Amino acid sequence: MSTVWERIGARGDVSARRARTYGLIFLGVGLLIFLLFARGATADQATTFVLTPSGESQALPVPDLSVPSLTVLYGFALVCVFVGGWQLARGFRRVNLALGGVAVLFVLAFLTWAARDRSMNLTGLLSSALLRSVPIALAGLSGVLCERCAVINIAIEGMMLTGAFIAALMGSVAANIWEWPSWAALLFGLASALAAGALLGLLLAVLAVRFKVDQIIAGTAINILAVGITSFLSARILAEFQYLNNPGIFPRFSIPLLSKIPIIGPVFFEQNGLVYALFVLLIVTHVMLFYTRWGLRTRAVGEHPRAADTLGINVFRTRYINVTLGGMVAGLGGAFLVLGSVGRFDELMTAGKGFIGLAAMIFGKWMPFGAFGAALIFGFADALQTKLAILEVPIASQFLLMAPYLVTMVVLAGVVGEAVPPAADGQPYEKQ
Amino acid sequence: MSWKLKNLLLSLLPVLLALLFTTAILLAVGASPWEAYRNILEGAFESPEKIADVVAACVPLILCGVGMSITFTAGQWNVGVEGQIILGAVFATWVARSLPWPRVPVLTTMLLAGMLGGALWGVLAGLLKVYGKVHEIFGGLGLNYVAQGLAIWLIFNPWKPADGATMSGTDPFPDPAWMPRLGHLRVAPLAVVLALLAVVVAYFLLRGARWGLELKAMGKNFRSAFLLGVPSTPRLLTAFAACGGLAGLAGAIRCSARYGRMIPEISGGQGYLSLLVALLAAYRPQWVPLIALFFAAVGVGSPRLELNMHLDSSLGGVLEASVVLAVIIVAGWRALLARRRAVVDLVAAQEKEAA
Repeated sequence: MSTVWERIGARGDVSARRARTYGLIFLGVGLLIFLLFARGATADQATTFVLTPSGESQALPVPDLSVPSLTVLYGFALVCVFVGGWQLARGFRRVNLALGGVAVLFVLAFLTWAARDRSMNLTGLLSSALLRSVPIALAGLSGVLCERCAVINIAIEGMMLTGAFIAALMGSVAANIWEWPSWAALLFGLASALAAGALLGLLLAVLAVRFKVDQIIAGTAINILAVGITSFLSARILAEFQYLNNPGIFPRFSIPLLSKIPIIGPVFFEQNGLVYALFVLLIVTHVMLFYTRWGLRTRAVGEHPRAADTLGINVFRTRYINVTLGGMVAGLGGAFLVLGSVGRFDELMTAGKGFIGLAAMIFGKWMPFGAFGAALIFGFADALQTKLAILEVPIASQFLLMAPYLVTMVVLAGVVGEAVPPAADGQPYEKQ
Repeated sequence: MSWKLKNLLLSLLPVLLALLFTTAILLAVGASPWEAYRNILEGAFESPEKIADVVAACVPLILCGVGMSITFTAGQWNVGVEGQIILGAVFATWVARSLPWPRVPVLTTMLLAGMLGGALWGVLAGLLKVYGKVHEIFGGLGLNYVAQGLAIWLIFNPWKPADGATMSGTDPFPDPAWMPRLGHLRVAPLAVVLALLAVVVAYFLLRGARWGLELKAMGKNFRSAFLLGVPSTPRLLTAFAACGGLAGLAGAIRCSARYGRMIPEISGGQGYLSLLVALLAAYRPQWVPLIALFFAAVGVGSPRLELNMHLDSSLGGVLEASVVLAVIIVAGWRALLARRRAVVDLVAAQEKEAA
């Protein structure tokens, strides 16, 4: 038995060890910037960051930022080393903030190195990063809704895929057969995708809440079914009748005033309606979860269903509602892939975004905005990888694609404090 | 109705439900269900060549399914099998490309190296779980992507063929690194023997050995097993190593016996399929070959749909997934009824006592 007590006793110095780890990581990042980037640049090279988007934009123009590559890289490396030294010697009170800052410095150093002697459109990069992160953020939000009431939703991938397929099919039917105006057809496609997501969410809820089937088995089965059905039907229907796979795309529109802000404006406020829908959903979910009765009940069901039940909260109903809502949000994520970015359905077009969304949810500690922040990181890595191919950077794109997963795992592995899921996560509730 | 007959009917019910569901989809797209099922069956069993293909397709499913039964028994969701297959194939390919030995030593080394590669990748997921507190599902999925990236990088950079890298993979292995096949049939007897051996060994290990019983105890209740003195960390890591080793063996067999080279899609979704195999086999190694046979037959038979009926072969996936879904729905429904009955019995007993 002694081992248990030893472990509990050993907990005291965990925070000290963690603080040390942080310091060493910061120092390591500084060293990496020096070894990887600074040594690859020469004194006469300059990096140009373009800060106005290339296409049409309402943003106020900003002059391009041109910096001497080597000096900036040495500067970044020194800052990281200093931050690391400070962390080891004195310690930061808000160490996660320092970690974020060092991470941003590392990325900036990487960009400075990659675009030395060239120019890089930073606004364009960030804008494409946001677009790529939207489906991941929606998947993460769907995960938050489900897991806050203790149902693990591993079927997000399948729900997104189904939503994407239905959005393409129904949107096209409305636009090209019934000949509705394009806005009505797009909205109809969106609504159908939400309904499809809700149905799959309901299926998962019935399996997980009523039948108390293992939630991961149920989710995996839904995923594989969704992959099979959408591939089969798209090969049978969409491939043969091209007009059934052409629902159109939600148009981009600028939000007055906000879109004029340099850099931020074109990135966040010159997007299409589904991106704004994500922003609204994030705020609504956050407020609902933490400032309303529904949210308190949801969290109570997730943390201690028995206590919630004793106080008269209907555990089953709460879970049914939340998982169905989660399915709808996942369906929205699928609809975004079709109606918000590509404009057509392709087999397996979600390509693991549902799973990455779950990782974003954990990374973001089961918080809506946390999940969004993590999704931005994944989206950024994805956007960067395509950009670097253009810049002819001598790094195999496979490694850049791997990087977000490696980073997630390193981060999940306890660097950013332990991510604690809702206490009853994954356990079916048995009424007594 | 006798109890046995009822149980038999109830276990056939999911298959019927799944067939009904698939039939509905086929009717909805205006294809003949009867023709479709006949084509799948013929595509899988019409000739000795086809049967050999089915048996060959069983091998990785059996190996990974048995491996997953081991980790499932310990209560772990090892969804990293896909990556473990890839790493096995990578290690085996390295051996095949760099060791110019005769057949027996090179094949033995390849298979062992494959097992080593898969086991290392499995243990990595286990280490992340134990020391990093990363849930094995996310660790496994992440490692899958990393393994996939690594395989593509290797194929496109150090291992690229002289006439340029393509998605069709590396140059074929030298002859000794090909696993011998049975005549003109595309099945390697050695691979089948190894798969069945894995079933037998895993069956006895999980049934009678102390190691297996300790894994079972951890799967039932991790905390009480730990408190009762099961060395949980080493057991967990060995379970991951065993599963990874079997998956890596499957990867080595796929590149040595099936493709004769390393290809980017060497795992080909076998990891996720074998997850379903292990589920349907209720994590018992002895049932894995039977379930794997079903999945392999559907997999080998459904391309026939494209040839003869212009139906996409993903119908096979629909059939497989709906069987799984129907099985869990029926099982969940029966469990619900059983719980209700238990409550009714309890109330009746209490009333009797009160009276």
